[in-house]
Order: sequence, then C-alpha cells, then structure tokens
Amino acid sequence: MSEATLQRPRPVALARLRHATWQGERIDWSAYLFILPFFLPFLLFTLIAVGFGAYVSFTEWGVIGDPTWTGLDNFRRALADPFVPKVWANTLKYGLIVVPATTIVALAFALFVNQRWWGATLARTVFYAPNVVAVTVIGLVWVWLLDTRFGLVNQYLGYLGIPNVPWLTNPAWVLFGIALASIWWDAGFSMVIFLAGLQDIPKELREAAQVDGASRFQVLRHIVLPLLRPAMSLVITLLIIGTLRVFSQIYIMTNGGPANASASVIIYIYRIGFRDFDLGYAAALSLMLFATILIVTVVEMRLLRVQRW
Amino acid sequence: MASKVTRRNALKLAGAGAASGILANSGINGVTAKPLPARQDVHEIVHWSWLTASDGEVWQQMIDAFNEAHADQGVQIRMEVVPDDQYGTKVLSSAAAGQAPDFGWGTAGLRADWIDKDVVLPLDELMSAAELDLADFMEHALQSSRYPTYGDMLYMIPMDAMSLQVLLNLDHAAEAGLDPSSPPQTGAELLDWAEQMTVRDGDTVTRSGFLMTGAGVQPSVTWGIVAHQMGFRRAGDDLTEAALNPEAGQAAAQWVLDLFDEHRVATRDVTDRYQAFGTGQGAMFLTGPWTLAGYVADGLNFTSFKMPQVGEDASTYFELGGLEMYAQEDESRYEMTAQAIKWLSDNSFLWTTEGRGAAVRQSILDRDDYQTSGVPWDLRAAFVEGMSEAVIGEVPVKAAPDFTIYTGSGFVAQTMDPVWANERPIDEAVQMLAEQWEADLAEG
Repeated sequence: MSEATLQRPRPVALARLRHATWQGERIDWSAYLFILPFFLPFLLFTLIAVGFGAYVSFTEWGVIGDPTWTGLDNFRRALADPFVPKVWANTLKYGLIVVPATTIVALAFALFVNQRWWGATLARTVFYAPNVVAVTVIGLVWVWLLDTRFGLVNQYLGYLGIPNVPWLTNPAWVLFGIALASIWWDAGFSMVIFLAGLQDIPKELREAAQVDGASRFQVLRHIVLPLLRPAMSLVITLLIIGTLRVFSQIYIMTNGGPANASASVIIYIYRIGFRDFDLGYAAALSLMLFATILIVTVVEMRLLRVQRW
Repeated sequence: MASKVTRRNALKLAGAGAASGILANSGINGVTAKPLPARQDVHEIVHWSWLTASDGEVWQQMIDAFNEAHADQGVQIRMEVVPDDQYGTKVLSSAAAGQAPDFGWGTAGLRADWIDKDVVLPLDELMSAAELDLADFMEHALQSSRYPTYGDMLYMIPMDAMSLQVLLNLDHAAEAGLDPSSPPQTGAELLDWAEQMTVRDGDTVTRSGFLMTGAGVQPSVTWGIVAHQMGFRRAGDDLTEAALNPEAGQAAAQWVLDLFDEHRVATRDVTDRYQAFGTGQGAMFLTGPWTLAGYVADGLNFTSFKMPQVGEDASTYFELGGLEMYAQEDESRYEMTAQAIKWLSDNSFLWTTEGRGAAVRQSILDRDDYQTSGVPWDLRAAFVEGMSEAVIGEVPVKAAPDFTIYTGSGFVAQTMDPVWANERPIDEAVQMLAEQWEADLAEG
C-alpha cells in the first residue's frame, strides 16, 4: 500500500465542521453528543407529539385511517358542548381548594421544620414522605380513609360530634374529599421549596427586626413572606399547573362521579379520546386546556411580581 | 507508563467499542455472531383478553388446555391480558400499526364502529371453513352477534350469555324471617323484602335492603332494566327511532330515585358495590354471573333469584361475550385462528360452568353434568334459566356505547347520574338521552 493511500487528506467539510466557531468560540461538538440521548427522545416523544396533537385538533380522527381536516369544527363543538363548562368549573373549583390550602399547609410545615429543635429532621421526613408514594396508592388509601361509614376520617370527626360526611359520594363534598388526598400528597414537595427559600433568608434580617421590637408575626409578615416571594411564586405556579391537569386521584377515587361532580378536564379528555376514540375533539380540548394553563400561570406570575407585601 | 485519558481518547475508545460491537454482530469483521438455535416451526396465535377477575383464571385454564392439546400440532395460543379500559385503544392502535392480535374478547352489539373501520372480520365463511357447527348455537346468541347494518354478518363467536339477576344474602333473609325459596316476583314484593332487610341508624341506612351506589353502573343499569320492563325502548327495532315511550323511562327513573329517598332501602354512600355486598352492606344485589365464583370463594352465604317483574314484564339486561377476529396483513393466519376459536367454543364446558355466563351451545346445555359441575347450580340457576328474559342488550350501531346501560362513565351514566343526585330533573335527563340517541341512530 502506498504512502499516499495511507495518508488520505481529511474531507474539507469535516475539517470545517471541526473548526467551526460561534461568536468567536470554537464549537465543542462533544457537548451536543452528550445531550443527544435526552434530546432525541424529547424530540420524538414530546415535541413531535405536541405538534401532531395540535394538528389533530383541527381534524376528525378515530385512530384508524388518516385524520380528516375539519378546521375549527372541534373548537366550535367545544363551545356548544354542555359538559365542557361543567368540567372546566369542576377543575377550577378543585384548584381554588387545593392551591391555597396546599400553599398554606406547606408553608406552615416549612416554618415548623425550619426551627432548631430535636425532632426537625424527623418532621421533615414525615411531612415529605407522602410525596414519594405513588398517586395510585394515595388514591386507594384515601378512598378507604374517606369512606362515609367506615372511614377513619369520619370516625375521628365523630369523636368531635360531627356527623358522617359523604366525602366521595355527595356532589357537594366530593371535590373537598379528593382535595384532602391531594393536599396530603403534595404538601411535602411544596414544603421543600419553601424550606429552601427560608434557609436563603439571612438570619441577620430577622435578628435586626427582633432587636427593633418586632413580634414573631411581624417578622413573618414583613421579613419572611416578602423574601419568600420567589419560592411562593414557584410553588403556586406548580400547584396551578398540577391542579389544572389533575387526573389520577380523580380517576382512582371517583372516576369523575358522583353526578360528574368531580369530572375534571383531563378526565373528560380521557373519556373522549380513549373511550369514544374521538381523538380530534380530545386534542382540541387539550389545546384549550393548554391555553387555560398558560393564561392562568402568566396572570398568577404577574400578580405575584407586582404584589407588595 | 501511565497514559492520560483525555476526552478525545475516551470518545475514540467508546466509538471503537461500539463499532466493533456492531461489526461483530453483523458478521462483517470476519467474526460471525453465534447462530441462534433454530426456531421450532410453531404457529403462534396472539390472543388478547380483558378478563382479570376469577373469570380470567378460568379463561387461562381454557387457553392452557388448548396449548396442551396442541403441543404436538405446531400451534399455540399466546394470551396477553389487556385491562378492559385500555382494550379498545390498544386494539385500534395495534390494528393501525398492522400488529393487531389474531383474536380477542368482544361483547355483542358493541363493534359496529370497528366493523366500519375494517378492524374486525366477518366470520360466517371462516367458521364454515373451520367446520364450526353453528346450528348447535342458540339462535338468539348467534343473531345478537350479527350486525343488521353490516350485511347481517356474524362478527363474533358467542362463548357465554349473561344476564343480571338478584343475589340474596341468606343471613340477612333469615334475620328478617324471609323464605329464600319463595323470592320476590314483583316490584312490590321486592320493595317489601328490601324494607324488611334494610337496617337504619336514625336517618342513615347502614345496610341496604336493595344495594345501590349513588352513581355509576348500579343505578344506570337498574334504571335501564326497570325502564325496559315499563315499556321504554332506547331504540326501535328498525334502529330509526330513539327513546320510545319516554314516560316509561321517566317512571323508571322515579322508581330508582324512590329507592334512595322515598323507601330508603338504599344509600348513596356505597362506592364499591361488589365489596359492599361481599361485606354484608347490602341484602339484595342486582349483578351478573361473573361475581358468583368470587363470592363462593369468599364463603359468602348467598343465593340468587331472577329479576322480579317491576313493570309489564320481567325482562333483564343481556350481555353476550364472545371471541372476535381482527384483520391481519398476513391473511394466511386466519385459518389457524378460526380453528383455535372452534376448539375453544367446542370445549367451552368449563367456561360456562365455572368461568362466567350460561352456555350458548345446545350440546353443552344438554349434558347431564352441566348442572352438577362448576359453581353450585342453586347459585347459577337464575342466571341460566333467566336467559329467556334477558333481552335488554346493546344497540348495534356505531355509537353503541352511548346506548349501553351497563356503564359507570358512559353517556347514560353521565346523563342520569345528576338525576340520582337530585341535581337534574328526570324529564330533562330523558330528553337529553333522546336527543343524543336520535343523532346516534342517524349516523348509523
């Protein structure tokens, strides 16, 4: 074999690629290699899927065959569907219970475990523990806890003289019943975020306020809460997104009943998509839910940004 | 000498390793991969089932028996259990991908939409070629497996017929001094028995004389049965008119509501009906034969009797389970699958005595040991003998699920649940049903 064959010049294009620069810096292609294992599945199973979902929302499609373009028909149908306002209202009501309640409980937990005392570490673990349990398990356990006649919750309320509450069998109570399970499940995660925020607050600020004669409540009101605003914003944003997408707890605990009083938007989308195989309409409803989440989240973030404590 | 492992070297090594792996496996690099052991020439039939309770265990025995009988004949069934709430989605998706199972479990009257999509196959010719004796089947079962709007072709081989009848807790009956050998025959007698077996604590019903749930399947199907008995029809025989005799539908809804509020023999507080009856929270329970084996295994002291005549007749809910074949790219698979279905049908004695509903083959019903095998006859009798009154089946149109009365979250339940919660007037709900059903029938 000749020397010339052994030492073939590198292809020009490859050499250019190797020496390519961006804003004066040489591009390190190995970085892209490292993100590829994440990016490819993300592209395939998220970005393309989302794009396809958006396309399907303008079509009529029942899994078999090609989608048929129907323009805005699915969105018009949603506006005329009497069930749509019902499930949106249910979801918003559920959010109005869960978001403030979880925020308050999580903040209380965080303030409690942020103190220096012998049981703080144990308390953190205990408060966080429900969050590591699968939501399916949470749902099944709470169905038992909230049973009208045999549930522990009603039994304890009975000791206080409160009559049995039909937590999961009465339309007026069912969202509160499901919310109890959700708050118990979710408060631990939000507590961790608050705890991180609390530990970022300089100790000197509290001490200075106390030296100036501020009570513990005043320190909380004027020092802690304003400085917790970023954590608060994050917690509320995550909770809003979570509650608007609520599915598993409801599916397991009530399947949307009784009398559709706990049917959330996602439960309805699931029924339309996977029971009736009306994927075009289900995709349109999903797109509407996405818009709702976006609007609510943006409004919430703006409100928190301008809010003065 | 220790050499520094740079990022470039590490990448080169990883690349070289991966390349040699690929080459080794493809045999290009002079290293041929070790040949796999030769596959035996076994034709594998893929079967999907959504049976998961005690009936699922019996069905597994049926499949095992087939495989054992065909161990030397080059054909085996591979059964995969798919949860029933995912079954439709998965069959349609797999069919769209050309990977549908060969056959699966179906329910008569619910497949018009799939027929329209060419997912399920007409079976008349295939079963004729497989020499399945269709003359041995009960005529009603075969007719229910046909679709009038699709050439009246047979799209399912029925395996067992089910009806809803009433289970009675014998301990509760004895406690109330009732004679189980003379069960209630009319609506008035049913209410009387329910009243006598109901236990209340103040205003609260702690044991339902007639077990219901506050929403979902139980009130929906009870309403559907009573409404039919009173003369209501979801669709006319020619499938052109919907909600015939709506006044009867309204009267039936009132009858169900009265169980909760007027007679107070049922409570809305029950969520899990099967568990509630099994744990003594109800004295009488309208249900299907699929619950029998489980309650027998649990040692529950109970019996069954036929659904009483609340209205003009004693009709009850009818459900026909069977096997359906799905379209394949490789049509040569059909013959073996049809043969397998023939074998399972011919050998469905176990299935129809221990597994689930009544036999649909005359040759099985005529067997001397049909009544003495499997679940005790005094429990099964109502479900077998009551088949003559089981006429409230599915409406075989594309939107059949909208007409289903045995549903916890379908259209009927969605519409009627607010009625049971006193949140929607009865006439408004029946009107909503009528409007949707008319639209569904118009679609065909």
